[in-house]
Amino acid sequence: MNRLTSARLLACVTLIGALCVPVMAADGASAQVPVKTFELDNGMKFLVVERPEMATVAAAWVAKVGSSDERPGITGLAHLFEHMMFKGTRTIGTTNADRDLEIIDEQEAVQEQVREVYAELRRAWRLGEIESPYDSENRPERLIELNKEFDKLVEEQRAIMIKDEFDQVYTEAGATFMNAFTSQDVTVYINTVPANKAELWFWMESDRLLNPVFREFYSERDVVYEERRLRTESTPTGKFNEMVTAMFWQSHPYSWPIVGWPSDLRVISKAQADQFFDTYYAPNNLTGVLVGKITVDEAKQLATRYFGRIPRGEIEPPDVVTLEMEQLAEKRMSGECDCPPQVEIRYHTVPFGHADSYALDVLSGVLNDRTGRLYKAMIEGAETASSARTRPDSGKWAGSFIFSAEAKGEATPPQLEAGWEAVLAELQKTPVGDQELRRVKNGFLADTFRSLENPFFVMIQLALFEGQGDWTYLNTIADRTEAVTAEDVLRVANKYFEPQSRVVAHYYREEGTSAEPVPPELAALPAAQQQQILGQLKQLTGMTDVAQLQAIVGQVEGQADQVPDEMKPAMQFMARKIKERIAELESSSDGEKN
Amino acid sequence: MKHFDSFPLRALVVLTLASVLVASAATAQPLPKHPNDLKYGELDFDIPRAEQYRHTLSNGSVAYVVEDKTLPLFTVGVRVRVGSFLEPADKVGLAALTGSMMRLGGAGDLDGGAFDERAAFLAANISSSIGTTSGRASVNCLSSQQAECLDLFFSMMREPAFDEVRLATEKTNRLERLKQRNDEASSIARREWQWLMYGKEHFSSRNVTGASLASITTSDLAEFHNSYWRPKSMIWTVSGDVDTQAVLKALDERLAGWTNEGAKDVPWPPPVPRNVPVPGVYVAQKEIPQGRVQIGSLTAQRKDWMAKDEMATDLMNEILGGGGFTSRITKRIRSDEGLAYSAGSQFGLSNYWAGQFAVFYQSKSETVAFAAEIAYEELERIRTSKVSDGELTTAKGAFRDSFPGNFESAASIAGLFAQDEYLGRPHEYWYTYQKRVDEVSADDILRAAKKYLKPEEMVFLVVGDWAEVEKGDADGRATMGQFFGGNANMLPERDPVTLEPVP
Repeated sequence: MNRLTSARLLACVTLIGALCVPVMAADGASAQVPVKTFELDNGMKFLVVERPEMATVAAAWVAKVGSSDERPGITGLAHLFEHMMFKGTRTIGTTNADRDLEIIDEQEAVQEQVREVYAELRRAWRLGEIESPYDSENRPERLIELNKEFDKLVEEQRAIMIKDEFDQVYTEAGATFMNAFTSQDVTVYINTVPANKAELWFWMESDRLLNPVFREFYSERDVVYEERRLRTESTPTGKFNEMVTAMFWQSHPYSWPIVGWPSDLRVISKAQADQFFDTYYAPNNLTGVLVGKITVDEAKQLATRYFGRIPRGEIEPPDVVTLEMEQLAEKRMSGECDCPPQVEIRYHTVPFGHADSYALDVLSGVLNDRTGRLYKAMIEGAETASSARTRPDSGKWAGSFIFSAEAKGEATPPQLEAGWEAVLAELQKTPVGDQELRRVKNGFLADTFRSLENPFFVMIQLALFEGQGDWTYLNTIADRTEAVTAEDVLRVANKYFEPQSRVVAHYYREEGTSAEPVPPELAALPAAQQQQILGQLKQLTGMTDVAQLQAIVGQVEGQADQVPDEMKPAMQFMARKIKERIAELESSSDGEKN
Repeated sequence: MKHFDSFPLRALVVLTLASVLVASAATAQPLPKHPNDLKYGELDFDIPRAEQYRHTLSNGSVAYVVEDKTLPLFTVGVRVRVGSFLEPADKVGLAALTGSMMRLGGAGDLDGGAFDERAAFLAANISSSIGTTSGRASVNCLSSQQAECLDLFFSMMREPAFDEVRLATEKTNRLERLKQRNDEASSIARREWQWLMYGKEHFSSRNVTGASLASITTSDLAEFHNSYWRPKSMIWTVSGDVDTQAVLKALDERLAGWTNEGAKDVPWPPPVPRNVPVPGVYVAQKEIPQGRVQIGSLTAQRKDWMAKDEMATDLMNEILGGGGFTSRITKRIRSDEGLAYSAGSQFGLSNYWAGQFAVFYQSKSETVAFAAEIAYEELERIRTSKVSDGELTTAKGAFRDSFPGNFESAASIAGLFAQDEYLGRPHEYWYTYQKRVDEVSADDILRAAKKYLKPEEMVFLVVGDWAEVEKGDADGRATMGQFFGGNANMLPERDPVTLEPVP
């Protein structure tokens, strides 16, 4: 393995302020993780990193399925499915597996009738007969009856259920970080088990793949709906982010939210979940990842014994075949929320692992952090932004590049947009300097080592990259990034940032959602005085007598000399505001004369 | 701790033998029917001993050094006895701003920009911060650049420049963040809960305002730093690709000549809040589709880390609402009823003053009351009847068998023992941890629940759309009228910058 400890001092270069620093070498020195791999007869792959000094094994398996594998009507299913995988199996979670399955069938029959009622309600809504198809306060009698019937079955099921046994078994064994996450491309199930209990992971994970029982499907669907309320509907920009994404992707299934559209969440059925499982959770679509105190031989024995029992899927899971249409015109949105004025600009770029993705990463590195161009142009000593950043976001099937910034003081979203355009124009005109490029690459190189410090994170990265198509990305990213030249950065800056291929979203603070922001000139005053001055300034809009206003200016400026120092900025501020009002009145009366 | 691809030969031989044994076992036996039938070997783990890593620097301060050559990186960190309790009441935010500006404002001859440039070129992650009752700083860097990185790190701590331009930028950026204090329901909840528990007078309840921020000058920062960021109270941690003796020498060299002359005394412990929370329902209005709820009260100040109550209350909370899906509140509110995505409880004794207990969840407006009813039922249950053997076994297993994970990295070993030193927690706490877990009985848990959980004394905070929350759900299962006689204290809407009530 190459280590950066061999990094030499190549040169001593002069930066601003005659600062002399070493340049770190980069000839082939990069982080490498020794990953051992094997594949079972049923097509399930395994990645193993042996870390004998650890007392635990960090373990995951990734299903190469995400929200982009859904279609309208079942959006949110990949994620809901992730929740369902914790509900147990024929062995785990019940004292009577046969009766449990019967009850689930009976519950399905009731839910089928519920969906029929919903279909009628949607029809009535289309015809304008009711306000909303899903209004809980005005439910039809039939729905209330069906819910009661369903609740009875739930109660009966609870009597034979071992509640949340899946979690209980792992927890009692000292396992930690039991969780899972769903993206647009992948679903990953993660865990850490004590090293002497590695077999437990093989038992539990193979059992939930071989004998899953999706009990409590409908209460879990409610949980996901609450998750949507929490993350999307109760946050300042959550619903807008959803709009921007939907506007950005025209044909590609990245357009809908991972959590799903609320109307789909209402009616997704267990039958649809079953079908989804059969297609995407077959072993030939899965990869296991183990990092910790386990050898590849031990892993192979256990994997063969446990996961080897699962039959290969009957069909190969289909690719996402819809390609994003070329964007022909710029798209724009403007919204108001409980948020600072801000802007988001998003460009179409390249998918994960694309040859240009490394240059786009470096381009982003040139822009970000306090040493980056955005901070220097828009934040430090500038009255434009309180924060500004870019982020390349490359999925398995398609990618984008996002600029976002929040305004400072009186600055507006159009000013933020103009600030970004100036920075971008410079990147498109002049190649980045050697020092700048070296600094960014040094950071990337060190970060490739930092990303290996935590074994759990190594496991997550392997699972994610494997799910996106290639785990070896972890071992090649450093060298590929190192190979990026200033010309590459110039080229991608000119290739991917055309105005017609972007979406621009402006956000303004919603009126009345919070008190008026206090101008910095008034910041030194006690709160009561601040409010008093702001109140007086508001009255200005009602005043039209220019002479009267000029008299007030005179008074204020006269007083400004006599007040204590800390109040002077406030007095000047008031005078300025009154003068602005005078100018406004004069220009509008000019207008009338013409 | 070994290199990724070159662990010693002896280990290799042992592991190969083990795999042969596994292989022969694999072909013969049928799979266990239930995971409880699995048989495990002993875990090969010894609790690291603090004295193995503890060193004294030439100025008398303590350093924990844990070598790990796996990757060519190292980290040096320091804990300092400082905090916002030391800032004047009319300069709220001074401590935190000093902590940030040490890193942002340049050092020695370097202004803020030049310092950042140098750190970025070295790929060094350097940080500093000051919280309510402690200060921290750290550097993480490639080991090949150890000397340069340590020079930069010590320069930041010994001679921060508090660059004027950087301070002005940081103040305007922070003012923008103040304006956002009402945007998220969680930020409103955090602020109001702190006030309800500890009152507004205690230093930990004070908030930065536009005025207090504006009043802070570079000379305030320099004075605060010079008074308190001094070597006398420092505890050091070093982890990663270092040689212990060499790194201790490197620290000593850079500490040389850094005296405590002119340092101010730090009165310790910090002042204690005097507030007695007033039970009742409190509402902060915000138009969102969910109510964000916290129900709880003060617990007690920790007197003894080794006391039985410490472990009994931790296990009690694990069973009540701290243990995810194995805990009662999560099972009932989330898993049974689908009323929330996140629901549980937190319990803590606290070092310098009384800690807190709280049940928390976020549920759609109409089911806030129904979820609360369930939460109160569970509070009552855990303080009136013993937890089951099964629950206790699960909770104890979780604590005992996940315990080795605390020592998984060199950084966590050094950090944990240094934190012992800072808090006055005996290292014995770790050495006997698993034994003390085993000693807790269901009676101990019942006693702890009775002692610390008093539902009638609890504060019930809701951030949400009160008109919708108050009504309860369409099925008539519960309404807010059930709690505290239906009385609700409406909290005033506050200006986000001044935090004064909006008229």
